[in-house]
Amino acid sequence: MIADYLILSIILFCIGILGVVSRRNVFTVFMSIELMLNAANLAFIAFSRLHESMDGHVLAMMVMAVAAAEAALALAVVILLHKHKSKLDTNMFSLLKG
Amino acid sequence: MEMEQTVTYLVLIPLMPLVGALVIGLLHMFTCTTRPLSERLYGILGVTGPVIATILAVKTFFELKGMPEEGRYFSQKVFTWFNVGELDVAMGFLADPLSVLMLLFVTFIGTLIHFYSIGYMAGDENFGKFFAYLNLFLGSMLILVLADGPVVMFVGWEGVGLCSYLLISFYSKERDNVLAGNKAFIVNRIGDLGFILGMSLLFWAIGSGGFDYLSLRENASALAPGMGLAICLLLFVGATGKSAQIPLYVWLPDAMAGPTPVSALIHAATMVTAGVYMVARFSFLYVQAPLAGAVVAWVGILTALLAAIFGMFQKDIKKVLAYSTVSQLGYMFAGVGVAAYSAGIFHVFTHAFFKALLFLGAGSVICALHHQQDIWKMGGLKAKMPTTYWTMLIGCLALAGCPLLSGFFSKDEILYMALANGYPGVWLVGVLVAAMTAYYTFRMFFLVFHGSARDEEAYAHAKESPKVMTVPLVILAIGAVFAGYLNLPAIFGGHQQVTHWLAGSLVEHHPHASLGLELLAIAASIAAFAIGAFIAYRKFGQGAEEPEFQGFAKFAYNLFYVDQFYHAVIVRPYKAFGAAIQRTLEPYVTDGHVKLSSLLYQLIGQAFKVFQVGYVRIYAIYMVIGLSLMSLFLSQTLN
Amino acid sequence: MIAELLFSVFAVLAIIGGLGLVLARHPMNGAICLVMTMISLAGLYSLLSAKLIFVLQLIVYAGAIMSLILFIIMFLNIRKEDLPKEEWRWAYYLGGIVVIAPVGLLMTKAVKALPGSEASIMGNGFGGVKEVGVVLFREWLLPFEIVSILLLVSLVGAVVLAGKRRVEQ
Repeated sequence: MIADYLILSIILFCIGILGVVSRRNVFTVFMSIELMLNAANLAFIAFSRLHESMDGHVLAMMVMAVAAAEAALALAVVILLHKHKSKLDTNMFSLLKG
Repeated sequence: MEMEQTVTYLVLIPLMPLVGALVIGLLHMFTCTTRPLSERLYGILGVTGPVIATILAVKTFFELKGMPEEGRYFSQKVFTWFNVGELDVAMGFLADPLSVLMLLFVTFIGTLIHFYSIGYMAGDENFGKFFAYLNLFLGSMLILVLADGPVVMFVGWEGVGLCSYLLISFYSKERDNVLAGNKAFIVNRIGDLGFILGMSLLFWAIGSGGFDYLSLRENASALAPGMGLAICLLLFVGATGKSAQIPLYVWLPDAMAGPTPVSALIHAATMVTAGVYMVARFSFLYVQAPLAGAVVAWVGILTALLAAIFGMFQKDIKKVLAYSTVSQLGYMFAGVGVAAYSAGIFHVFTHAFFKALLFLGAGSVICALHHQQDIWKMGGLKAKMPTTYWTMLIGCLALAGCPLLSGFFSKDEILYMALANGYPGVWLVGVLVAAMTAYYTFRMFFLVFHGSARDEEAYAHAKESPKVMTVPLVILAIGAVFAGYLNLPAIFGGHQQVTHWLAGSLVEHHPHASLGLELLAIAASIAAFAIGAFIAYRKFGQGAEEPEFQGFAKFAYNLFYVDQFYHAVIVRPYKAFGAAIQRTLEPYVTDGHVKLSSLLYQLIGQAFKVFQVGYVRIYAIYMVIGLSLMSLFLSQTLN
Repeated sequence: MIAELLFSVFAVLAIIGGLGLVLARHPMNGAICLVMTMISLAGLYSLLSAKLIFVLQLIVYAGAIMSLILFIIMFLNIRKEDLPKEEWRWAYYLGGIVVIAPVGLLMTKAVKALPGSEASIMGNGFGGVKEVGVVLFREWLLPFEIVSILLLVSLVGAVVLAGKRRVEQ
């Protein structure tokens, strides 16, 4: 059943959100975002199968490309942060505090 | 009305000096700190606009002359300025005999003064700024003169007020000069208020049929007598401010703080003549309100008397000339007040020549003596500065009303008209003032040029001024001699061309008085001149020492303490009133709201600052909470 | 029958991998768990007859991106004491679940409203390189080009950010 795939996608997406909001480790947060992207991809593919159209696949490819770009930049930023403070704690970076 | 002649170049006359002002001002602004441009460039740019304006003015004159006598005018509407309700004001210009007469001598004398300034201001660090202001001044005056209605006239009216402020306080490094500029501006503002009120009343009364001179003139008969009187008096308040009459004359002597060409421009061609011009312009109102005319005449002649008294005791050469201007302006107002508008305007015309001449001559003397202005430190300059001496002599004779020079004819015309129109009191005071004028003029003249030098060192360095300064003097001297012959009355075999020329613009009745009355007026004028000049020669012709002023003389030297009086009665209470408002009203009533609202914003900001924790994870939580609330709301509706 | 069994297995593995990622203290453990999820997802794609995406998931995601992440984690040489303390971790988990639950429930509700459909495996003519390529280069050409520019920009950006700073030396 397609609905089962979609529900699995929802579960994975919620786990991704949970990782973003509850963890302080930069890597874990980053990988949680990747997990959310993958959940979205699963939904695309499932819908594509449901409607028997190829557009979902194309979108999934786009998401992968964006994820790759994001990974490159985000990891560069992580390296910079580590260089500056030798820490992986997101709470270390709070210059925007009001 | 008949067919309206339209020309397109009329707007260029005021526009040329204004464009010059803009160009020079911008050039000066962007280069004065980095690399100042040469004075030659500024000089050429500065005289271009006035010269073109002069040529166009002459062209306008000849075109107007070629038209039939009735309906001798043309106008140009450049654009509709504003159109509110019944008030439809166009940026329009009107050339008729009155404005063209003014136009001719304003542009001509203004241009001469521009040329003279090149020599006078040489070496000044703000040479460019000076010419920008000077051009702006001339442009504003031309707007005032050429305006086709009271509103556009008011633009020029305010423009000359602003420029007088800028130019009087031109040497702004000295506090006194700045204060003099402030004084001129503030006193003028008081007069302007009268002008605005008069203009508003005029519009309220008869403005619905069009608010330009021609329409107003047609509708003037619909004016109620009381309303006409009120309008005339309020407009005259405006004129007293601009033209330095009692009680607002105090700014003009202080205006001597500016450079001398500026004084010449203010006193001769622009600004102070504006009030007389305005009264003549509204002659169709003043003939309907004889009482207003009487007020104008008496205020004018009393101003003339007061200023002549002050002038007899001054020691600053420019102050003497300043009070003579105030005095002559009094004559002009006496002229327009007794409904002799053409005589008043004619005196404006001749006065422009000899007063410009006298100021430029005085400037030449001041320049030669390294900015020494005290006549008790001059003397014997006749030998050193021949051109200045002879031209100044002509100017003094004209001012004093020597027969056969221009000042005599115009002044005599005013006095004769006062007598003929039934104002013997005005005539009597006028003759007395004429004698005093001759006295103080020659007092100054003898002290400066005759006798022996009182300050040897300054005398040794004195020399004749350069050509760029003396040539305008000679031209003006020729004008001062012959300008009077343009309006020669019939008794001297003339035809009063100026009066006939102006007839199209003015509403004027010419009384037919007896020959005896005319002869009496002429004889009195000549006698007044002779007595005044003779007393001056007796006292100062052979050199004299500076006297200690006692009693009345001291009182007059200190200007009757009018300034101190104004200060104590008006300025001080006004300042106290302002200070009281600042202490009580301002912090609580006006500023209170503003401060409260800013405080409120600050408090709200402080309260919401709590949420800006700086941790990116917390921001993500905010977002998810919002998403969650939205989901809760949506799941209520989704079924 | 087999397909449904496979779906159950992959689904359970994917969820376990996701939970492992969120719960693991060290990012290395989390990354391994994420790799497990990626591979499970690849299996699920194949069950959905998405052949090209199945391959790409394995090569690009599980292969390239995850190995890049693992490489960086190892490159930084993170030890236990470098990790953030995270004392209130369990409280955040609980609070997070409470907050996310409405989102998940809403989406589940929406999915339940969909018409049911069989997810049987399709043969040729769906999800292959040719079919995806035809759509991609006919209807999605402009987005495709824009994505290529995006990749280029991120490449340059990564070099600028992480590269050596000559000015400072």
